[in-house]
Amino acid sequence: MNIVATPMHSHATDNAVLAPNEGAPLSSHGLMKFYDGKCVLRDVSLELQPGSVLGLIGRNGSGKSTLIRAMLGLIELDAGEAQVFGGPALAMSDAVKEKLGYVPQQPDALAWMRVGQMLDYVGRFYPHWDRAYVEHTLDRWMLSRNQVLAKLSPGERQRVELIRALATRPQLLVLDEPAAALDPVARRDLLRELALRAADAGTSVLFSTHIVSDLERVASHIAFLHEGRLLLHTALDDLKERYARLQLPAALASQGPFAGEIHRRRLDHGGLSLVIERDADRDWPVIAREGEAHLDVLGLEDLFVEIAG
Amino acid sequence: MDVSLLLIRPAAPEPIYRQIVGQLRRMIASGQLPPGEPLPSVREVAGVHAINPMTVSRAYSLLEAEGVLERLRGKGMAVAATHRRVQSEDKRMQLIEPHLRELARQARELELSPEPVLRRLGDLLEDEE
Repeated sequence: MNIVATPMHSHATDNAVLAPNEGAPLSSHGLMKFYDGKCVLRDVSLELQPGSVLGLIGRNGSGKSTLIRAMLGLIELDAGEAQVFGGPALAMSDAVKEKLGYVPQQPDALAWMRVGQMLDYVGRFYPHWDRAYVEHTLDRWMLSRNQVLAKLSPGERQRVELIRALATRPQLLVLDEPAAALDPVARRDLLRELALRAADAGTSVLFSTHIVSDLERVASHIAFLHEGRLLLHTALDDLKERYARLQLPAALASQGPFAGEIHRRRLDHGGLSLVIERDADRDWPVIAREGEAHLDVLGLEDLFVEIAG
Repeated sequence: MDVSLLLIRPAAPEPIYRQIVGQLRRMIASGQLPPGEPLPSVREVAGVHAINPMTVSRAYSLLEAEGVLERLRGKGMAVAATHRRVQSEDKRMQLIEPHLRELARQARELELSPEPVLRRLGDLLEDEE
């Protein structure tokens, strides 16, 4: 399926720009997907609220790309339902496609075209095409208009696709591992662009990454995917204030599970490393007050490693 | 206020909105940001530091609710005019209290006795002046 809107629609776009009450940009319920008898998505439900920036984090092979493709209706599901702006993802209308900017991890569309040719061609289908952004960013990201897409490195190819997606001024941006293709300067450019789009136009963003620091800057929400299962989905600020690591000595390690415990890992010397969550009164669970227990507030990266490592 | 005065550490365990709140409180308490001083817009802070605009709004709203900042009609946020130029020592001590506790905790973990820690802290405080 091609995400680029078809030319037939281009004359009827004016009413499609900002229709109110059309549902969350992305909404998926109970997604299940098997490949060769192996379950790669296990009952995943995930929503992206308007104006939020959701970072999807997980190790390589955790199912991030599959989840993104499922949410956009690019693969068939074994169970569950995926909607984009309130309509079924598998039958996206051109009006919806026009509001969506999607960059896959390995883009391959229109590979025979030159960079400039492809951007000019695609730009014609989008009423809000931002030519100035294209020119400025091609330059800044060291891309030449004259190169054939098929001959670009995977990183360059994805940079061109990022420019293409951002130039359409979409209401919803979905980026699969965008950071992999970018050096630190270009990465910061992209994050800044996402922050400004969110501020100026309320653009909603879903992006996957395994580079935690990118996510910490610009995400408002975060979802942890681990072995096809969604472990956490919460506001980023909440996450940092709500979870901590608790180390327990060997003497306490045979007990539990404790109230507020969400993950445990046995340590070499027989002790335990737990990830714990505050209770409804925002207090740490009782076990944290044990004299021998040691509580560390965790940054996102440490929390990620603790749970997924 | 120059937007680059804010120091954002995304990887710190402290959420970014709290980092902003803490830094602005300290700059205002010390008089570095005087009453009436305009603050950079949410968009500017978000753009310069590549952070989520909602994070910046949240920090500003918290400080507005505390009466530290006020919203100027059509002009964004500024340090509240009614805010005393420099807060009492008690107030300022409250602001640094969490950091002192953290320092004390780490010193105990390293089994340091108070004297050398206090001596070094004294030196650092003199240096900064």
